[in-house]
Amino acid sequence: MLNAFAAWLSRTPLTAFLGNAAWAVPAIQTLHILCVAVVFGGAVFINLRILGLFDTGQSVQAVLRRFLPPLVGGVAVLALTGALLIASEPNRALFRTLFWAKMGLVVIALAASLGEGRLAFRGAQDAPESPPHFILKALAVTSLGLWIAVIFAGRWIGYVSGWPGSPT
Amino acid sequence: MTLNDVFARLQATPISEAVAESAWIFPTVESLHVAAITLVVGSILVVDLRLVGLSSATRPSSEVEARFLKITWAAFAAAALTGATLFLAKPIAYAQNPFFLGKLALLLLAAGNMAAFHVIVQPRLGLRAGRAAARVCGFLSLVIWVGVVALGRWTGFTL
Repeated sequence: MLNAFAAWLSRTPLTAFLGNAAWAVPAIQTLHILCVAVVFGGAVFINLRILGLFDTGQSVQAVLRRFLPPLVGGVAVLALTGALLIASEPNRALFRTLFWAKMGLVVIALAASLGEGRLAFRGAQDAPESPPHFILKALAVTSLGLWIAVIFAGRWIGYVSGWPGSPT
Repeated sequence: MTLNDVFARLQATPISEAVAESAWIFPTVESLHVAAITLVVGSILVVDLRLVGLSSATRPSSEVEARFLKITWAAFAAAALTGATLFLAKPIAYAQNPFFLGKLALLLLAAGNMAAFHVIVQPRLGLRAGRAAARVCGFLSLVIWVGVVALGRWTGFTL
């Protein structure tokens, strides 16, 4: 099924266009990295604040209100630019285990970041000024590690080999 | 001894050969470089958007700078260190790559813009012209850093 999808995708005008315009792929990758800057930056600010290591003059809730929406928006644009990068070379990422591992990591990392938001705002109703709960702190360490793992996986996709027998 | 001789000597050092030949050093350092540069851009974006007046308007820009530029500098140090390591893999090729040289030029421009902001603009933020100039500096910084990321990506494709 994946083979059929990749074969269909590679016959689309989109793949033809992205293959012919030499500037297209680096331009999309530039946009992809700028969105990583928004997402990873937001995750770092949020998680360091929860851990009490950054911007402690602001409440955890204020930092989440400021950086969680761009984080989510950034992931949405990343999905779009990522899809375009797959379309530019359909036989590359789809047949590498690390690509699917990265997708799984993105889903879990996003869930962790959104979970931090829910947890922080639920706690805020009971005691607005209390220090973050240890579960929230544990989630912050986990989320930070997951987003870093996503970056590593993304870079390494280009270096690992595809499944045996996959189309080239 | 020309600069190229220096790079040729550099390329013959054991550390340069190790980075060039190892299967894992380059991608690992590259991953760290991406993490560092995205943190540089992500944190400077917050400061620049505040300067331009598009976000964090409830906080003084000096406070936003004091908080976020600490992260920018730490991340920049990591980006420079990892970048220098990547350079070691192919010093001669990098030194001749127009996109890489353009990236270095933009980094100098970013430094100049930052210096001009702190020395000339920041003491005059009480004046209307000073506030307008701060917006220009913030906007220029945004454009320069987008350019740095773009030229970095183009370097990877043309090396």
